Amino acid sequence: MKAVNAVTTSWPGLHVDRPSFSAVAESELDAVHRYLLFLTGDRAVAEDLTGETFEKAFRSWRRFDPRRGTVRAWLCRIARSTALDHFRSEERRRRREARYARDLPEAEEPGLGPGATEAALARLSPAEREVVALRVLLELDGPTTARVLGISVTACSTRLSRALKRLEEMMRDAGD
Amino acid sequence: MPATETTDFEREFEELVRRLRTLPTAAPDDVRERVRALGEPAQQPRLWDRLLAAPWRRSLLVLAPVCVLGLVSAAVVHGVLNSGSQREAAVTSPAGAVRAVPGSSGGREVLQPEFSSRLPTPAPNPNRYQDYEAWMRVRVKDLDSLTERTNEAMQVVRSYGGYVASVEQSTSAGQPGQADLVLRVPVVHVEDALMRLSGLGTVVERHLSIRDLEQVVQQQRQRILQLKLFIARATEALKGSLPADVRLRLQLQLEEARRNLSRTTNANRATLREASMSRISLTFTTQKAVGATKTGGTGRVERAARDAASFLAAAGAVLLFLLIVLSPLIVLAIAGFWGTRAYRRREERRLLAST
Repeated sequence: MKAVNAVTTSWPGLHVDRPSFSAVAESELDAVHRYLLFLTGDRAVAEDLTGETFEKAFRSWRRFDPRRGTVRAWLCRIARSTALDHFRSEERRRRREARYARDLPEAEEPGLGPGATEAALARLSPAEREVVALRVLLELDGPTTARVLGISVTACSTRLSRALKRLEEMMRDAGD
Repeated sequence: MPATETTDFEREFEELVRRLRTLPTAAPDDVRERVRALGEPAQQPRLWDRLLAAPWRRSLLVLAPVCVLGLVSAAVVHGVLNSGSQREAAVTSPAGAVRAVPGSSGGREVLQPEFSSRLPTPAPNPNRYQDYEAWMRVRVKDLDSLTERTNEAMQVVRSYGGYVASVEQSTSAGQPGQADLVLRVPVVHVEDALMRLSGLGTVVERHLSIRDLEQVVQQQRQRILQLKLFIARATEALKGSLPADVRLRLQLQLEEARRNLSRTTNANRATLREASMSRISLTFTTQKAVGATKTGGTGRVERAARDAASFLAAAGAVLLFLLIVLSPLIVLAIAGFWGTRAYRRREERRLLAST
């Protein structure tokens, strides 16, 4: 993670230095987008959710306490909550559509991209993709990732190992 | 926190990790512009936000000792305030004759007798025959004073025309000395005598007893008069001529009456003597009365500790009561919290498990 060299603000009487929101947004935007892209498996949705995540972060910025964790982990928690809300609303939408528009053709699921890696990633579950994103791409450590996901460190490690193995197998199969 | 060291999965899946990291995942420009447009939040963090953001476990670790400390401090303050010099302390005494008086200064509480030597004592009625009895316990400084005061008491009694019926003094090493005197003082001077005897030391106990003898004296006098009258009549009758058996019976009755007259007269004299001389049982002692004098330090600290403990016990009882009353609600709240959390996690797993 890049260091945030920006104007800092301090809490009155609490002597806690915090980076400015704009500096954080500039430095963490790609990371949050990357995470949401892996989690949703859809570029368009990831872009929407990234914007939504930073809007939420903007509104609750004053509640961020740097002593409780990194700003990246905090943003990832907001991004995950936003993505889960999206999944729920999508599920409800699909149910409604299944009830009232049975005859409509199934919409084609958009993927992560045209390559073999993207194709293999698309076959992983969102839970597997998000742990890969957090640990491999965003380079969060085990305990922080576990906190973001709300699971134990061991479960997080197991999930990552399983996801990478599956991904490797799928890519090997695709190569064969 | 980014992992700076090479982690296990990076070694195991080196090629895969490298390919994943080279994927084009940067945010597009339109998203970047949208985020940049947000700018900087105008509202600065407030103390309330800081409090809301505080982790509850850490808050509990701080709040619990703070609450306990506050409770203990309140108990100590309560104890100290309630143990002040204005508070009266009950003192046990065989006759309850000693009580605490407020108003002493410097945290020292001096317990004084309920009455002092200057206070008037119940006076005997000079127009009636009364049995006046007093019992008094007087504290003196030390064994030397004990002997001196005993002698002075005897002189006081003699100066009023009285006498010492008995005196008994006991002193032994390491033990408090004591002198018991039984004094007889003319009733007419008993008030003055008691006043002076009270001044010989610190009166720690005093009892007075006045028993009316007027009726007893009147009955005795009436009986004496009747007996004298009978004796006079019988003597006169025996001078005349009487049958032998009557004479004999009358002579026997006359002798019996004379014996009764003698007894009643003696009893009357004793009663009159009793009514004229009061009886004073005086005890001098070097032993301090129980709780008569207490230093302010120890007594106050003890009371403060007792009050503080009572306060803590009351607070504990209230907390226990609240805990008992609120425990079902607390259990429900905890169950609701954990239930909701478990449901949300299961829902999240289900949502994220679908491919």
